[in-house]
Amino acid sequence: MDSSARFSPSRRAVLSGALGLGATAALSSCSASSGSDSKALTVAYFGDPKSAASLSKVADPFRKANPGVTVRFVGTTGTDWNEFFTKLLAQIAAGNPPDIVSVATEGVQLFASKKLAEPLDEYVKRDKSELQSYFSDVHPSLVEAMMYEGSLYELPTDFNCGNMYFNSKLLKQARVDYPAADWTMDDFHGIAKKISTAAPDVVAFNWVVRLWGSWTSFMYANGGNLLTEGKYSGGDWLWDTFYANDPAAKGRGGGFQWGAPTANSDAVVESLEYMLQLKREALAPQPDAGGGGTLQGLFTNNKIGMSIGGGFWAGGLHNAGMGMNDFDVQLFPKWKTQRHLFGTGGFGMLRSSKNKELAWELMKSMSSVEGINVLTAGNVTTPARRSMMTADRYASTGPKHWQVFYDTLTKLPDTAPIPAPPYYNQMATALVSRTTQALSSGNVRSALDGLQGDLEGAANAVT
Amino acid sequence: MIAASLAVIVIFTLAPIVASVLLSLVSWDAISPPTFVGLGNYERLLQDQAVIRSFWVTIKLAAMIVAAQVVIGLGLALLVQRFRSTFLRGLFRTAFFLPLLVSAASISIVFTYLFNDKFGVVNYYLGLVGMSGVSWLGSEAGATATIVMVAVWQQLGFVFILFVAALSSIPRDVLEAVAMDGAGPIRTFFAVKLPLISPTVFFAAVIGLINALQLFDQPWVMTKGGPGDATTTTVILIYQAAFQNLQFGYGSAISVVLFVLLMILTWLQFVAGRKWVFYA
Repeated sequence: MDSSARFSPSRRAVLSGALGLGATAALSSCSASSGSDSKALTVAYFGDPKSAASLSKVADPFRKANPGVTVRFVGTTGTDWNEFFTKLLAQIAAGNPPDIVSVATEGVQLFASKKLAEPLDEYVKRDKSELQSYFSDVHPSLVEAMMYEGSLYELPTDFNCGNMYFNSKLLKQARVDYPAADWTMDDFHGIAKKISTAAPDVVAFNWVVRLWGSWTSFMYANGGNLLTEGKYSGGDWLWDTFYANDPAAKGRGGGFQWGAPTANSDAVVESLEYMLQLKREALAPQPDAGGGGTLQGLFTNNKIGMSIGGGFWAGGLHNAGMGMNDFDVQLFPKWKTQRHLFGTGGFGMLRSSKNKELAWELMKSMSSVEGINVLTAGNVTTPARRSMMTADRYASTGPKHWQVFYDTLTKLPDTAPIPAPPYYNQMATALVSRTTQALSSGNVRSALDGLQGDLEGAANAVT
Repeated sequence: MIAASLAVIVIFTLAPIVASVLLSLVSWDAISPPTFVGLGNYERLLQDQAVIRSFWVTIKLAAMIVAAQVVIGLGLALLVQRFRSTFLRGLFRTAFFLPLLVSAASISIVFTYLFNDKFGVVNYYLGLVGMSGVSWLGSEAGATATIVMVAVWQQLGFVFILFVAALSSIPRDVLEAVAMDGAGPIRTFFAVKLPLISPTVFFAAVIGLINALQLFDQPWVMTKGGPGDATTTTVILIYQAAFQNLQFGYGSAISVVLFVLLMILTWLQFVAGRKWVFYA
């Protein structure tokens, strides 16, 4: 076979090869690009892309201080944080990472453990005088929730504890008074029965299957958790510098260390069994899985008497048309404890950013009072800075007892973040699946044994 | 022209399939460099009860969806064909075809509200006839039935239009001859119409099965695969493995197995079709 004979029929192959190489080169060049042009910052946030323009105002002070730097906000929707992270990780995997990402408690350890997020320790130490006022205004619980293996990854801008909301109209109809802060599970059950009796066409209590503010709130109050709780060592540099005289910072470490699964412990089983009991007594319906949009809609339409919500519900209910006296909030009822769960939000810097110094400056700016004012406008979430929790802030939206939001952190020191280990995504998926299994089959123990196995498998896969 | 067509097929069809097969041989989280694991993902898959269960769920749902689509689609086509009014025929064709044009996700959201246990319209009307409190999405049987109903309702228009076209193409003189011989409607259907449209029935069954085995939108939006894993289809599991758990190699391995299963089932349909499909 001569050389011409060898090459002649391979023209198509060459063409195909060239096309393939061209496509590969194009993909490679996409991968090589970080999406971080010089003098430009991209901020990815969890939310409606249409709100980018209003949210972008948070960067106005930064823009003034850094003329010539472009800041672009890119919103990604999703039913929950799990879905947002899925889309974000796909975006990063596709070679198009942003510089700054909004990441709540759910994803802090996920991003840190995958070495996607940049530790902020050196930046914070360097700018400690500038940050003193910030940390003195933010509860140490929130800061600790943003730490992983001794390093800080985000400056919290907002948070939400799992408190209990009441529909005032239905409460009045049932002739129930606003409960005291130290109300118990028995009180809760009694109120649920009264609401149900007074208005048979509504549900006394409704909830959503998810990690934050779900049956997990009952689990925390019952002294249980899905994972063994521990603390990473380290973090002294932060506590000694910014919280030296704050008793609430005592015993803090380098972030929550989520250990062996305990999903089928007695306290956890008892908590989910209680949810099943509520369903059997027709005090709660079969819950939806995922986001809480439907829940909020039903609450607004006076179809739900009580539900778990954070500060974000104040703005949500107001925007849905509820008057400030149409609803109210109280601490979650006491079971074995009155421990609450919370999630906190903030912005993290990605390691791949080519403009880390600029990104840090923007992060600091977004954590200022002015910045958080923009991020929490309309009370769509709760400011992490306690100085911003004022009567004025809630004058137009309610609720009447808005102090409950921050009191949860200050008056209940054992309040803790939701369990969000590096394998959060697998955990959230398994939790939804096993919870619905338990409610459907009625066999809570079996479902939680399954969850225990799922979590052990997920934990082993990352270690 | 042929080279361009081939290039498109290679880039958009063949290359992704080959890439999936290659990806199934590595462990890759899309962030760290991939590690070659050989057939490790397939070994894991064979021991993964969730995957095996998802295949069973998928086949079960697909069988119900395809059977319902073909039977109901054909039945409706036969009914509509009886209308003499062209306007009514057009109206029904449009009505049955419209759901196909709407996104499955949107439809699923709407049906989630309709089938809500406590506040749904369906349970409201059932309550009026003494059948209150059906747990449509909260029980295994209810969720399975609801998803099948929604999938069938949405895809029915495609099958319906196929059958309307096939029935219209049956020569009028054949039907007249059968009528003159004294055959009733049932005899006419089984002895004449069904054999003559059997290639269309076969086509609808094959396409329906291929679509149904890739069911994702309805169970994902309506139940997230629950309760438990009662409606977790294989494609949901692929999505979770690859995009939620960042196990792209494992997700690819599951997709390769689904691809092979699809080919086998389609081949079986062709084998079985030789016995009952009548190509005139």
